[in-house]
Amino acid sequence: MPEQLLGDITKFLPEITLTVMFLVAICADLMFRKSPQIVAGITLTGLILSGAFVLNQSGMNESIFGNMIAVDPFAVFFKVIILMSAIFVIVFSLSSVELQTASRRLGEYYSLLGGLALGMMLMAGASNLLMMYLAIELSSVSSYILAGFTKEAPDSSEASLKYVIYGGLSSGLMLYGISIIYGLTGSLDIYEINHVLAQGSVSGSALAIAGILTLVGFGYKISAVPFHFWTPDVYEGSPITITAFLSVASKAGGFAVMIRFFKGVFIDPSATHLPEGMWASLSGFEWYHVVAAISVVTMTLGNLVALWQDNMKRLLAYSSIAHAGYMLMGVVVLSNEGLAAILVYFMVYLFMNLGAFYIVMVIANKTGSEDVEDYKGIGKRAPFLGVALTVFLISLTGLPPTAGFIGKLYLFAALLNSGWIWLAIVGALNSVISLYYYAKVLRNMYLRSEASEKKTEMIDIPRVQVATVLVLLVPVIALGLYFTPLVEMAQASVKMFGSP
Amino acid sequence: MPVTLDYYLLLSAVLFTIGVVGVLTRRNAIVVFMCIELMLNSVNLTLVAFSAYLGDITGQVLVFFVMAVAAAEAAVGLAIVISLFRNKQTVNIDKINILKW
Amino acid sequence: MLTEFGRVFIFLILGVVFVAGGLVFSWLIRPNRPYPSKLTTYECGEEPIGDTRVRFNIRFYVVALIFLIFDVEVVFLFPWATVFKGLGWFAFFEMMVFLVILFVGYAYVWRKGDLDWDRPTPKVPKYERGIGVREDHLMEEEVAL
Repeated sequence: MPEQLLGDITKFLPEITLTVMFLVAICADLMFRKSPQIVAGITLTGLILSGAFVLNQSGMNESIFGNMIAVDPFAVFFKVIILMSAIFVIVFSLSSVELQTASRRLGEYYSLLGGLALGMMLMAGASNLLMMYLAIELSSVSSYILAGFTKEAPDSSEASLKYVIYGGLSSGLMLYGISIIYGLTGSLDIYEINHVLAQGSVSGSALAIAGILTLVGFGYKISAVPFHFWTPDVYEGSPITITAFLSVASKAGGFAVMIRFFKGVFIDPSATHLPEGMWASLSGFEWYHVVAAISVVTMTLGNLVALWQDNMKRLLAYSSIAHAGYMLMGVVVLSNEGLAAILVYFMVYLFMNLGAFYIVMVIANKTGSEDVEDYKGIGKRAPFLGVALTVFLISLTGLPPTAGFIGKLYLFAALLNSGWIWLAIVGALNSVISLYYYAKVLRNMYLRSEASEKKTEMIDIPRVQVATVLVLLVPVIALGLYFTPLVEMAQASVKMFGSP
Repeated sequence: MPVTLDYYLLLSAVLFTIGVVGVLTRRNAIVVFMCIELMLNSVNLTLVAFSAYLGDITGQVLVFFVMAVAAAEAAVGLAIVISLFRNKQTVNIDKINILKW
Repeated sequence: MLTEFGRVFIFLILGVVFVAGGLVFSWLIRPNRPYPSKLTTYECGEEPIGDTRVRFNIRFYVVALIFLIFDVEVVFLFPWATVFKGLGWFAFFEMMVFLVILFVGYAYVWRKGDLDWDRPTPKVPKYERGIGVREDHLMEEEVAL
């Protein structure tokens, strides 16, 4: 057995790199207390190195450590998204003014970001309920601390406390679900569970209860609606950089683990009677009705409540809830086409959402405010930021020629091809609603001018920050015009270990 | 009348429900954390009962991990409560309400 | 024969009888001669002052939290110790990796100074002419911790 495990370790290098990086980073934090940039450098190096190992894994399709973790194209895709957003967020953090209030503890901040990324990467690969629970908890516990990182601000520790309480509740519910599944099937390995379920001797109602309880844990991670209560508060109270990271990477990890759970556990591996790329679900638990309902409620509530938000972070928080709803539509379909659509959407969402949050941060650095009201006249005071934010918001709405349009296009196509027409209509209506609140921000930026004369001077931003915005802005436009490589990459990445 | 699996499951379901209701209704953050611990421990009871019933060790392995993770989560949660208390002088959840809708 | 529950029941009854019996018996045979100093909480003479629910110093919590974490991690050593013989050196090194990671955490806590029990310099109450002792100085320090 040791030889087998030693062989598996070489396929576990990205995660090992991040662990070592974390240990080195906290030791470096002890040694160089005065300059947290060193810790930031170490974390960044670790993330890039880990990314190199992840890219090296492309094409691999196997399971390591006794089916604990799958190394397959699907996991690799999500790991790339998580690492990219982690790298972006560290670059953001280096220029954040807000974080300087806690400059003494910044070393901890960067090392914890690395730990958070590690938890999410494990979520992307976990194929055992034990591993799924551990990965979710690792990322949750690190994000509780990071959400309350600027603890001198009154709303930061409040956000953190709410996060912990909702997190504890939902992980408790999820564990109860896991324990019932274990009792019914006698295993925690999703492939074995699937095998036992395929024999059809398991009670359907108990399985449905267990499935819904487990869904609570995943729903909490992706902030789907009945489990979303923490999202707006945490997004508003946390430092903007953490909000940006949670809104992209945490959702990516949550979606990866949820899709693997549903596909691994509830899909009949032997079904051949359905059209190409679709799977039949095992009888007992019709999960897609539940997911469809959650999807509709999530996007509708997210968009409607976003209409009367006046804080930019809170507005983007509700918008990110709505986006989780759109992506859940892809989980409802769960065909190859639906999964590829989710992957495309995630890659696009990474750029546009991080971009929007980054500009909110840059503006808050200069004006000290995140209120939508204070965006009046920004279009004239900072023309470049105004244009960039416009592009990101148009992309979030899903209008051509931006990348957001491509993401939505593939999602709706997958829905229509598999007959979920009513769901596609609800999704399209929601996009129309979202146009209203994004346009509110644009109207404030360009059409309203600031009443007082004092606030009319130009906002000039450092070159580095302009470059960072450009790095995010270019893909949003480029992927909107030339998207074939991304789509092909996504279609190649839907392959999961142990699935047809 | 032997003590069968049902009794363990019933007891842990009752404990779990007490925990959930406690989290949703109690107003003191510390008590809320205690209720979360109660939920996790009732899950542990279920797992151990199933593990003994099935004659399979996996459930007990999960229990070990749940215990360790619950301790970490409680430590982080209590640390956050302390930092909040330094700001606000209260641990009452109703009074912690800057952020709303 | 007794069922399993029956045994538990007898155990419960015995427990109740043992405790209640002792209390009742001593209540029956003891002399009853109350006088003021006997009725105080501590007969040794210590006067109880104020509420019993005092707020403990925050340092106790910090130490308790650190203890909680490191204490519970030991749980993984027990299953490891039981199967160690069968697994040999590989398992040994695996556990060493785990312990090294724990040790880095311990060193971190130590170096950050969270284990230091720094005594606050006691604040001598200030006398101000005409006002007397300002007790709120003391109160402020208590709250700030």
